[in-house]
Amino acid sequence: MSVVTGAIGFVTGRVAPGTIGEVSLSIHGGSETYYAYAADGTEVIETGARVAVVEYEPPRTVRVTRL
Amino acid sequence: MGLLYKIADPSEALIISGWRAHHGPEGDAAGLGFKIIVGKGAFVVPGFQKARRLSLDIHETELPLQCVTKQGIPVGVKAVVIYKIADNPESIANAARRFLEQMEKMDSKVHNVFAGHLRSIIGSMTIEEMIRERDKLAQQTRESAAQEMQRLGLTIDSLQIQEIDDTTGYIENLGAPEAARVAKEARIAQAASDREAAEREAEATALKAAAVSASEIKQAEAAAASGRARAEAEQAGPLASATAKQKVVVQETEVAKLQAAQREQELEAEIRRPADAEAYKTRTEAEGKRDASIASAEAEAKKTRLLGEAEAAQTKAVGEADGEATRARGVAEADAIKARAEALATNSSEVVQQQVAAMLPELVEKAASAFGAIDQLVVLNGTEGVGDTLGQIIGTGLAAMPMLRQLLDEGGKQSPSGNGSTQPPRETFTARHE
Repeated sequence: MSVVTGAIGFVTGRVAPGTIGEVSLSIHGGSETYYAYAADGTEVIETGARVAVVEYEPPRTVRVTRL
Repeated sequence: MGLLYKIADPSEALIISGWRAHHGPEGDAAGLGFKIIVGKGAFVVPGFQKARRLSLDIHETELPLQCVTKQGIPVGVKAVVIYKIADNPESIANAARRFLEQMEKMDSKVHNVFAGHLRSIIGSMTIEEMIRERDKLAQQTRESAAQEMQRLGLTIDSLQIQEIDDTTGYIENLGAPEAARVAKEARIAQAASDREAAEREAEATALKAAAVSASEIKQAEAAAASGRARAEAEQAGPLASATAKQKVVVQETEVAKLQAAQREQELEAEIRRPADAEAYKTRTEAEGKRDASIASAEAEAKKTRLLGEAEAAQTKAVGEADGEATRARGVAEADAIKARAEALATNSSEVVQQQVAAMLPELVEKAASAFGAIDQLVVLNGTEGVGDTLGQIIGTGLAAMPMLRQLLDEGGKQSPSGNGSTQPPRETFTARHE
């Protein structure tokens, strides 16, 4: 079970359909940035919003939803 | 043969491959064929296992690039990208599979890849977006490079454009309108302040001048008023004295007039009247005298004239008579002489002259006696009158007198010649009475 799934983070690059966003997750004792898409594919999450990782697509992409 | 215990640094990942070094069930081809140890230590069986270290340090690459923006404007871009191998096991596995033996070449390989990505990133942006919108740049970077970065197991920590070099002046022109606008406003503000300051200064100067002039006018008026009053006061005394003097003088003039009148009267009485009387007397006397003398003179003259006339008449008569006689005689004698002369024309003229000379005293005496009878000759009309008178006197009886005289003279002077020419009678008498 990956440690990424269910991680809580915040958006650092706007998540929107048609573009790749970026989230910063608190894992591994620090913070790591992952490429992010909206979990439902249409949600627009602006920078700074708290999100939770719903799905993890290795190596470095997550599907997030707004918290 | 002992075990080696290797410890991974925090920025390292131990890659252990070999005997029983795998993730996942043994023999599973789908599992990871090697072990990734991050931040921990692991025993490595030498000879059976191999341990490699994969650096997870940060790498930096500079990307100088000539490319074209979305609008087709050529720009020279200098970008810097900071990347590393990502920390999750999947990325480390990807990176280990690619770069484990070529760590030192990773930079150049990644550089080439990044240059291409940067070209596409800049080609999708305008210059304004590059300068002003950093989020857009990051987003474009993600969109452009995400897939490849994930395949390589890398993560971009930062991609920044350090310099944008614009050879066409696009960037300058971007700022030109704003710079011009700001400069214009600055100048307008400056001019407005200057104008206002100048207006205020002019107002202040005008007010000052007005105040100064008003005060000077007041001062001049006060000075004039005081001067006027002083002049009046100064003149009051002399004016009064002058008025008094004038009155005195007027009175004195009156007195003098009266005195003069009086004196005139006195003069009139004492002198002029008597003088007039005297003068009148004298004048009258003189007139009387004059009249008297005139009268007497007239009387005298008249008397004399009458006397003369009478005497002249007398004489004339006498003379006439004598003259007649003489003339007759003379004529006779002249005839005689003439006859004699003619008869004696060839004769000696001396004889004739002798004859004439013998008769001449008598003639002369007669002529002179006529004149001798005249006591006083009053010539009333001058020389001509004398001539006329004498002519009258003589002409009647002594017509030959001048002729004879002349003859005598000529005879005395020119005894040899003695011509019997007659010459017109000269008025020799008038010369004597001149």
